Amino acid sequence: MRTRVRDVVNDDATLIGRRAWSDPEIYELEKRGIFGRSWLFLAHESQIRNPGDYVQAYMCETPIIVARGPDGKVHASVNSCTHRGLPVCRTDHGNTNGFVCPYHAWSYDVTGRLRGIPQEKQVRKRPDKSRLGLKKVPRVESWSGMIFGSFDEEIESLDDYLGDMKFYLGAFFDRFPQGVEFVGSPQRWVINANWKLPMENQLGDVNHGPFLHASVIPPEANQEIIEHGVSVVPGGGHGATFRLMPEGTEVDKVAWGFEAMSTLLAGPEVHEYLREIQARAQERVGPIRSRIKGLTFGVFPNLSFLWSNTAFKVSHPRGPGRVEYWSWSVVPADAPDEIKKVLRGNHTSFFGPGGILEQEDSEAWMQQFLGANIDFADDRPFFYGLGEGEEGPHPDMPGLVSSTANEFYAREFFKRWRIALEAVEDPR
Amino acid sequence: MNGSTDVTPELQHEVEQWYYREARLLDGRQYQTWLGLCAEDIRYVMPGRSNPLVDNAERGREEMICVDRELEGVESDGLPIRDETYPFLAMRVGRAYAPNSWAENPPARTRRIIGNVEIREVDTAQLSITSNFHLFFSRPGSADFLYAGQRRDVLRRAEGGFRLASREVVMDLADIEVPTLGLFF
Repeated sequence: MRTRVRDVVNDDATLIGRRAWSDPEIYELEKRGIFGRSWLFLAHESQIRNPGDYVQAYMCETPIIVARGPDGKVHASVNSCTHRGLPVCRTDHGNTNGFVCPYHAWSYDVTGRLRGIPQEKQVRKRPDKSRLGLKKVPRVESWSGMIFGSFDEEIESLDDYLGDMKFYLGAFFDRFPQGVEFVGSPQRWVINANWKLPMENQLGDVNHGPFLHASVIPPEANQEIIEHGVSVVPGGGHGATFRLMPEGTEVDKVAWGFEAMSTLLAGPEVHEYLREIQARAQERVGPIRSRIKGLTFGVFPNLSFLWSNTAFKVSHPRGPGRVEYWSWSVVPADAPDEIKKVLRGNHTSFFGPGGILEQEDSEAWMQQFLGANIDFADDRPFFYGLGEGEEGPHPDMPGLVSSTANEFYAREFFKRWRIALEAVEDPR
Repeated sequence: MNGSTDVTPELQHEVEQWYYREARLLDGRQYQTWLGLCAEDIRYVMPGRSNPLVDNAERGREEMICVDRELEGVESDGLPIRDETYPFLAMRVGRAYAPNSWAENPPARTRRIIGNVEIREVDTAQLSITSNFHLFFSRPGSADFLYAGQRRDVLRRAEGGFRLASREVVMDLADIEVPTLGLFF
C-alpha cells in the first residue's frame, strides 16, 4: 500500500491529507475498519410498524433489507440471493410476506429465511435450506426508535456506542410527548463528493453558514450563533452543535430553531404548536436541554441530524469520490397532519435534491473532492487546527464544549477515523 | 374533461405563445420577470417519485403500471421534493441575483423545449394544461445534464394573458444524479 494512515492524519488531527478523501486504498480500509466495525443507522421504527413492513437500507455499499417479522422483531438481512446474488427486494419500501429472486425464483420470508427452491424437486440431494437464508446482519439494536445494525458481532452495545450523544439526541426526541416519526421514504440523490464531507458538515461545521449560504441566510441568524452557539464533542467521534439560549429566554425565541418558518411556510397554528412544545420542554427534557435550540448533530460514522429542518441524513459511500445521500423528514408523532406537512416542507424546500440551501452545499462538497484529488500537493494537507485546545468541560453538559468556530468536532472525528483504519491496516 | 370544441385554435395558440415566452424568460435568467407571471397564491410542487414494483393486483389493467402510483405529492404521506408558495419562489428569485449564490456563479446554462401542450380543461376563469419539457443544463467543470418531465399547470386568466396559479412538475429521473432539482421548470 502506497499511503500509510498516519501520513494522512497527524497525531492531533490538525492536518488531514488529501489522500484521506480521494485514495481508493484508503477507501478500502474505511470499508473494513469503519463500516465493518461501527453501528450504522438503518431505519426508524415508525417506518416498519407492522409485521411484513420493510424498507431498504445500506451499510456502506451493501444493500440491506430491514423488516418487521411475524414475530414483531426487527430483522436486517443482506439483500442478495444466496443462489446467484441478485437483490431479492427491489423496491424502496412496502409490506410483503416474502421476497422472490427474479432469476430462479428462490423465495425468502421477510426475516431472510429461505422458504423455497423451485428446482429442488428435480434433484436427488435436497439442499439444507436452513443454511441458505439471506446473510443476517449479526447485530441489530434500537435506541429511541432509531434502528442500527453492525457487521461486527463483538461490537459494544448501541447504548454504549452512542454514549453521551444520547443526552443531545434526547433533547430533540424527548421534547415531544410521543416522540418522532419518519415521513415516507427518504429523498436520495448522488453527489460527486467523498462521504466524509457531508458528514463533517453536519458534525459541527456551522462555520460555513454565513459565507457559503450568504445569499439566503440572514445576518441576524448568524449573530445568534456567534453569541450563543456551542459545539460539543461527547466522545466517540460524534458531535453536536446548537445555540444554548440564556436562561429566561422567551419561549418564541427558543422554539425549536425554525428560522425560516415564520415568514415562508408556517401559519399561526404551527407557531402555536411549537410554542406549546417549547413551553413544556423544561419538564420533558430538563432545564439545560430545554434551552437548546439545535443546529446540527452527527453520529459516527455517517448519520447526521439537521435540527432546524428536522432532517436525518445518511451519507452512503459509493467510492472515494461519490456519495449517495439519503435524507428523511422527521416530524413529531403527536402533531396534527397539517402541521406535519408544513414541517415536511421546511425540510424539503431548503434541503434535499431541490433544496435552496443544499445547492450550495453539494457544490462545495464536489469542489472539495476536486481539490482532494490533485497531484503534487500531498505536502499541503488540509488545515484543521482552528481553535485548537480551546475546548473544555461544561458544568451542566457532558463532553467537551467550545465555540462553534473551534474545529475540534472534526479533529475528534478524524482521530477516531485514524484509529479505526490503523486497526485494519497491513503491518509493515 | 373538455369537449374538443372548447379548445379553439386561437386558445391553443395563445397558450403556446405564453409557454414559449415563459421558457425564453427562464433560459434568459429573467427570473424577476418570470415571477410576475405567477399568481400570488401559487402552489409550486415537485412530487417525490418512488420506484415501486408494478401492482400485481391490477394485472391486465392499465392501472397496473400507471405513473401516478409512483408519485408522492403534497397530499400524500410521502415526501415531495418541493412544496413551495409564492414567498418561497421569490426567495429563489432573490437568491439568483445575490452575490453569494456560489452554485450559480458562474450561472448554469439552460435551454428548454416545451412541447405536447395539451389543454385538458377549460372554464371561464382558468385552464388546466399539461406540457412536457426537455431541459439541457450545462456549467463549467461538470458533465452536462438532461432533465425531462411533465408539467401539470393551472393557468388563470388575467389582464394581459395568464397567471400561473399552480404547477406540479413530474420528473422522469429514476435516480437523481443531476446537480439540483431547485431550478424553475
